[in-house]
Amino acid sequence: MRMQLRAELFKLRSTRTALGLFAAMTGLVLLAVVLHSLLPAAALANRNNQLTILGRGEFLGALFAALLGALSVTAEIRHGTIRPTFRFTPRRDRVIAAKVLASVLIGAGFGLVAGTVAAAAGAAALRTRGIDVRLDSGDYVLLVAGSMAAAALWAAIGVGVGAIVRHQVPTVAGICAWLLFVEGLLAGDLVGLGDVFKFLPGSAATAISGQEPETLLAPAVALGLLAVYAAAAAVAGAFATSHRDVG
Amino acid sequence: MTEGVDKPGALVPSGKGGGDPVVTVNSLTKRFGELVAVDDLTFSLHRGTVTGFLGPNGAGKTTTLRLLLGLAEPTAGVALVFGRRYRDLDSPARRVGAVLESSDLHPGRSGADHLRALAMAAEIPPARGAQVLALVELEAAARRRVRTYSLGMRQRLALAAALLGDPELLVLDEPANGLDPAGVHWLRRFLRGFAEQGGAVLVSSHMLAEAAQTVDDVVIIDRGRLLATGRLDELTERGGTLEDVFLELTGAAS
Repeated sequence: MRMQLRAELFKLRSTRTALGLFAAMTGLVLLAVVLHSLLPAAALANRNNQLTILGRGEFLGALFAALLGALSVTAEIRHGTIRPTFRFTPRRDRVIAAKVLASVLIGAGFGLVAGTVAAAAGAAALRTRGIDVRLDSGDYVLLVAGSMAAAALWAAIGVGVGAIVRHQVPTVAGICAWLLFVEGLLAGDLVGLGDVFKFLPGSAATAISGQEPETLLAPAVALGLLAVYAAAAAVAGAFATSHRDVG
Repeated sequence: MTEGVDKPGALVPSGKGGGDPVVTVNSLTKRFGELVAVDDLTFSLHRGTVTGFLGPNGAGKTTTLRLLLGLAEPTAGVALVFGRRYRDLDSPARRVGAVLESSDLHPGRSGADHLRALAMAAEIPPARGAQVLALVELEAAARRRVRTYSLGMRQRLALAAALLGDPELLVLDEPANGLDPAGVHWLRRFLRGFAEQGGAVLVSSHMLAEAAQTVDDVVIIDRGRLLATGRLDELTERGGTLEDVFLELTGAAS
């Protein structure tokens, strides 16, 4: 298992995919924070809004970590390297477990950077506009730690989804659509599901760092719930991979 | 090299081969819905031989090799390497090397890194990667990304990956695709030498003239079914070429 983990970590750094995702994520975090900081000063003075702006890194870190995890499976299927991978390690559950661990580790790094950049850039942008930042050091710690945890767990979800769906384009499109639109629509209560949205994995990721405390779950509850989603996705992905032929 | 002529139809080990079969395929069947890709196929392979796995396109060659390598599950029957299912081998990369029809490389990864990732997973020393790259004469391109490789270079890199674990059995699916004449010549000599040192080779091909120069034994299939298996010199002893035999068997002569 250690050998497989080493191999998976090496695969992640021997192509430009992870680096490209990291660069895109960091750029988008900065863009999102800057755009939000253009809101009216009255809205920006609100503490919960400040948490949301400085917490933008959590959502984007989770999204890009999920894509990283998903691509670690679907790119191998797309290019056929999954065949030598499984020939060298016929225990496919071990391969998936190694991909989950590698993606969780790198995903945590994505979350750390996204959370830190968003909090630092957000605080700087607010001060530039002369707005008092009403967050204490505990809030900052929770923002960054929550971002790390959310991205790490979403990386595992990405591996699971990739292993189940297998095709690269539907996997990537599905993850983006889910996080960018579907959960937003459900949270907007257009479909009349009420409070259900806060139990969904995207909302849980946001809740881990204490954002939107009036509508979302408490951080610890959200962390536990997202961990359950991540474990379920990883197990389902390993099961699907072990029980299907490789094309 | 004439022993076994008295047993037409049976696969008899050539040369110094013998002992337990390296590959045992027994009543192997694979269905995809209505389609029967491999139909009750039985053959075996012995040390010290190069066996040509021949058949028209779509005959079920690649599916059989995937079943043998544990990439797909048989509907019925067994495909064993060294008497066990591939996935039950202790360190399969050190016993079986394979190149499948698609070269199975990530275009954005260098040749050396492709080998390194595989070596890590099987705990093969990194120095072995350099050795096999030298063996297939790819050192100069080792640091380049695979997307800059020609088809022949990709084939040679895939062969290097197959040799990483210093295996006893090589399974090659159309390995001559994309190789230039010098490359084909090199491959033929390499496979000969591999078999002479006691290894076994199963090589699928639809290039019969090339196969006839390389193989000791043949397994000929069509529509998933076994048409003939045995020593090449036996099959062609009536005077025809491998091509004549093949066309007659597959009913494509007219």
